Amino acid sequence: MATAWPEKDDHELLALIQDGNGQAFATLVERHTERFYRLAYRYLQSKAGAEDVVQDAFVKLWENPAIWQLERNSKFTTWFYRVVVNLCLDSQKRKRPVALDEEISLVDDREPVDETMMRIQEQKALEKAIAALPERQRTALNLCFDEGMSNQEAAVVMGVKLKALQSLIMRAKTTLKERMKAYL
Amino acid sequence: MSDNRDEKLDEILRSRRLEPAGPDLAQRIILKAQAIPQNKTMPLWQWIRQVCTEFHLPKPAYVLASALIFGVVIGFSTLPDINPATDDNVQSFLSADEALL
Repeated sequence: MATAWPEKDDHELLALIQDGNGQAFATLVERHTERFYRLAYRYLQSKAGAEDVVQDAFVKLWENPAIWQLERNSKFTTWFYRVVVNLCLDSQKRKRPVALDEEISLVDDREPVDETMMRIQEQKALEKAIAALPERQRTALNLCFDEGMSNQEAAVVMGVKLKALQSLIMRAKTTLKERMKAYL
Repeated sequence: MSDNRDEKLDEILRSRRLEPAGPDLAQRIILKAQAIPQNKTMPLWQWIRQVCTEFHLPKPAYVLASALIFGVVIGFSTLPDINPATDDNVQSFLSADEALL
């Protein structure tokens, strides 16, 4: 399948994919793989896992193109974000990591050797703290901070009202501030 | 103080580490899909949804259509009158009519 039609928008490509056009599928995959990989990586914290999820999502779309329904006010990316997030959550449920014990301190009390070490520790603590957040708070945070979505766009992807999304982000940040206080 | 912590947290959140995807990820996805035939059969419910989406019917139209279908179903499911008028009944009815005249 050679890529073609970079000028066609997602909806035009999807109509062609529903007619079995492989070139349209290749164009869509090349256009969006990176973005959805980034999202999946944030959930799974694993390159292999994130690649598998993105591959599954696109292959499912190719296999059953009818799963995409053009509905009013619905963008392909908004819908596909939901598909990828759901696959990530399924994947996490299948291989559930050891739950983070609330009693375990996320802060390493040892003095950092240097700035780089401090940065690595900070990142590790952050990832652990984010992983321990409730699912919806984590999704809101990932969409707004990593995907650079506006609150309104993230609310549409999550199927919640704007106020609810803002509340999720606020609660997530309050928890993170508490858990990351040694680094802030 | 709290503002500083907020800003620092935002800064850390925006600079989260990301391991880049393999450079051939898109190609691998395309190759995998190439080996899989497309399933073009559509479930009935999805087909109905697609038809509805296609025609962009307003909600009152759905209500009206449902009421009509419901009426037709009720109409067909009601048993017809299985006691046709007997000759005696007809005669007595006609004589009653004549008596009035």
